[in-house]
Amino acid sequence: MMFHVARIPGEGLAKGLAVTLRHMLRKSETQQYPEVHPDLPPRSRGVIALVEENCTVCMLCARECPDWCIYIDSHKETLPAPEGGRPRARNVLDRFAIDFSLCMYCGICVEVCPFDALFWSPEFEYAEYDIRDLIHEKDRLGEWAQTVPPPPPHEVGAGPPKEIAAASRPATRTAPPGRTAEAEKGGTAAGARTESADEAATAVPSGTAEASPGPSASVRREPPRAMRDIRSIRPPGALPKAPKNPKPDPQDPQDSQNSQEPSTRKKDGPKEES
Amino acid sequence: MTEEGMRRERVVGIGAGADAVQPRELCTPKDPATSKELATEDMVLNIGPQHPSTHGVLRLRLTLDGERIAAAEPIVGYMHRGAEKLFEVRDYRQIIVLANRHDWLSAFANELGVVLAVERMLGMEVPRRAVWARTLLAELNRVLNHLMFLGSYPLELGAITPVFYAFRERETLQHVMEEISGGRMHYMFNRVGGLKEDLPLGWLDRVAHAVADVRRRLPDIEELIFGNEIFLARTRGIGVLDRETIMQYGVSGPVARASGVDLDLRRDEPYLAYGELPVKVVTRSAGDCNARFQVLLDQVRVSLDLADACVARLRDLPPGPINQRLPKVLKVPEGHTYAWTENPLGLNGYYLVSRGEKTPWRLKLRSASYNNIQVLREMLPGHLVSDMVAILGSMFFVVGDIDK
Repeated sequence: MMFHVARIPGEGLAKGLAVTLRHMLRKSETQQYPEVHPDLPPRSRGVIALVEENCTVCMLCARECPDWCIYIDSHKETLPAPEGGRPRARNVLDRFAIDFSLCMYCGICVEVCPFDALFWSPEFEYAEYDIRDLIHEKDRLGEWAQTVPPPPPHEVGAGPPKEIAAASRPATRTAPPGRTAEAEKGGTAAGARTESADEAATAVPSGTAEASPGPSASVRREPPRAMRDIRSIRPPGALPKAPKNPKPDPQDPQDSQNSQEPSTRKKDGPKEES
Repeated sequence: MTEEGMRRERVVGIGAGADAVQPRELCTPKDPATSKELATEDMVLNIGPQHPSTHGVLRLRLTLDGERIAAAEPIVGYMHRGAEKLFEVRDYRQIIVLANRHDWLSAFANELGVVLAVERMLGMEVPRRAVWARTLLAELNRVLNHLMFLGSYPLELGAITPVFYAFRERETLQHVMEEISGGRMHYMFNRVGGLKEDLPLGWLDRVAHAVADVRRRLPDIEELIFGNEIFLARTRGIGVLDRETIMQYGVSGPVARASGVDLDLRRDEPYLAYGELPVKVVTRSAGDCNARFQVLLDQVRVSLDLADACVARLRDLPPGPINQRLPKVLKVPEGHTYAWTENPLGLNGYYLVSRGEKTPWRLKLRSASYNNIQVLREMLPGHLVSDMVAILGSMFFVVGDIDK
């Protein structure tokens, strides 16, 4: 009554055992984990890295976090007035901590960060014996920044990864609408663009990229750089590191103002989108 | 052979299940004068909330008459996290985080319902590349989910080996899912208007490869367990669910299709790119545990074929974006909509009511497991306690999906 599928009693069992036997002769699937590190893809959401220099304390990450596990403290500092300018207030980060015991690893903070200060790293070995040790302060978050891999190139027919677009963005804001159009441009041209960016990066050391537009003022665009080091990413419209000899440019003061105040950036945000 | 002889043979057979123990009516002599029956008392037995066969914290209150279940009542809510209420204080991107988590085995399909509802309310058109990529990922997610149950169900019935084979296949597919989304369970890859990021270079090849690998090795799982006499004895004819009960309880997904309910939203109300795909709906008529298990395996095959079709289509699509640019604050216009999708475990619906704010006014979640588990009170009575494990496992539920 019960065995009307398998004609010979025990045929099904024998079939199963045959599978087991075949597998006995095959290579084992076991991963030798602690000795051999797993090869994780670059997009893996392991731990969040912070590039402190890029953080402007805009608090977007802390506000957007679904379970509010990012703690930010800051104070305002007034920079002495440059020659012929006015003193500027600047936010200084005192504390930036992520509580990984609360974090849901959704990646919204990394996604909303407008100044490329947060990145995902595939590192995952930070288990602790005490739950309180899972709060990573900014120095620990900064250490993770070394482990951030470059983003993977995109499939043919896709736009370039946004990190590469950010890294190859010109430091000064010349024509925002043109730039956004270029960043949005898909197609095979985009794929070619990332490749050429890679080549450019090998040719030009990343350190000189900031100073290069100095001599020839007519060339406003730097050669696009690939993201070698995430610390090379500057926020859009950031002030140059070393004070250059000021070339008379009517746009400059306005630009630097934009970089200092996220509120003005936000105001021109919708214009870019429409 | 006499009637008595027949019965004795059935008791000897492997896993004769409920047939081995006669119902009380049969044991009770017709004439009370000839033998004195002992007074019996029903026993209430709690299965769970901490019991290995309940995959978590489902509690069943069984009323037992000896070994036989006289009444069963599923008691849900031990893992209630108030997801619907939390939805109301989250913006639409944060909702995706939460929606990921109620059914942790089909995270991608859960996200999908939310973004489909929001996109419909906004009247937003999703780029074609995103539509096809979503379809592909949803099918891969379905395979991952089904493989989990293809491994865990035999495990509950005492077969330890198949779970290792199932997990090897899962790992193969999880690699490609991890590569594109960065997550292994909670993909967080859908966004309103498309996907979070574009496909990595060479990803489609790796998907095609992984799908081919899984398809090639799927017969291993089939041979291991599907013809196994012990497995058949424990599943065939056990827990038969009829069409009428399914309609009354709103059972859906593979559980319903195993009883011949021919409903699959991928074919009957196509969303994403399913309208352009030949979706084969797998059905069985037996409606028992074995049929439900068979449906899972066949659905894996169908999903792998669909995934292949999606990969081929994605290769041919003209270049373009994978998502839409969204405003900084995404507000959904006033109104309401109901978006349902064919999740791996059944119908998953989101009823979205918006009052024009950046959070929904109400987001009702209809999850598949909740309905599928309610029917246990009809199915379990009459079966033995040992069959309960077989039936419970074959309902393919995730406790988070029940309790939300």
